[in-house]
Amino acid sequence: MKSRIFQALVIGASVIGATAGAQTIGHAAPPVATPGSGTTIVSGRTAAPGDSSRSYDAQALRFETHWGSADIIRGADGRVIGTVGWFRDFDVEKLVASSPQAVTEARAFKTNNFRGSVVGGLGALTLVVGAVVTANSSNNAASPILIIAGGGAMVWGAQHLNAGYSKLSRAFWLYNRDLTR
Amino acid sequence: MARFILSACVAAQIALSGVSMLTAQEGTTYDDNALRLEGHIGDVRIVRGAQGTVLGKIGVFRGIDVAKLVSPSEKATIEAKNFAHDYGPGTWLTSLGIATLGAAIGVSRIHDVNSSITTGLMLAGTGLIAYGGGRLQNAYNALSRSVWWYNRDLTR
Repeated sequence: MKSRIFQALVIGASVIGATAGAQTIGHAAPPVATPGSGTTIVSGRTAAPGDSSRSYDAQALRFETHWGSADIIRGADGRVIGTVGWFRDFDVEKLVASSPQAVTEARAFKTNNFRGSVVGGLGALTLVVGAVVTANSSNNAASPILIIAGGGAMVWGAQHLNAGYSKLSRAFWLYNRDLTR
Repeated sequence: MARFILSACVAAQIALSGVSMLTAQEGTTYDDNALRLEGHIGDVRIVRGAQGTVLGKIGVFRGIDVAKLVSPSEKATIEAKNFAHDYGPGTWLTSLGIATLGAAIGVSRIHDVNSSITTGLMLAGTGLIAYGGGRLQNAYNALSRSVWWYNRDLTR
């Protein structure tokens, strides 16, 4: 009788084990392109416990700022793959294309970065013109207006650049999340 | 026979509950716990998870204990300590630089002051801003790396 109970336990466990295996295949790694083949294949391999960490180590993105621009860095070894910032054009959307939500955030980053750069740049220029006019001691009524308008535009631009980098941070967060699935 | 069926059901129940628990943990770890940084005028916020819970704000002269926040990850803690090492001096030096530059502009309006004083204050102010800004930049880059390592160790 005892051996029958033991047998039943083993059969029950193995049936569930097979079901769990089938569920794991449902969460298998995303399609992987084979170099040079031009086709995609679905990996049926179940990820080993360390695989997600290795994938993150090699692929996960972050950015580091350098005086007005930001280097986009991939992986644990800190490889710089591009630079974004004032009037710098790097296709972040393409970089995070594997994650649809990240693409949306990357698009928002691009919009905010462009607006912030243009308005902030024009604001700085206006402020400098206002300062030069004031320094020349001319009693031009336009100089305070130029300084205030320039300062305001710079703040507006900075706000948009800030919002842009928050979007970039979110885009990378989502991209990195989708790496670990 | 009844015992046989009962045992099979018990085994199935144990195995099933184990599987669903593991799946739930794997599926929610990053979504719930991964950190990111979001900038706002005047501060940088450390945000957790997909729902965007704000854990703390790092602003001028205030901050949170980032090392404690990322303590589960060894490398993240090292970077958090680098952040703390650079952030305080960076903030103070930049502020001092701005104040010095302000003083230089103020002094320049006084007619009978030696122009070398104004020039000296201008240079000192600019130098302090550049050095302090560099330290702040290093601090924020260390913070970025810290968050990256923390999230990386979450996914193990």
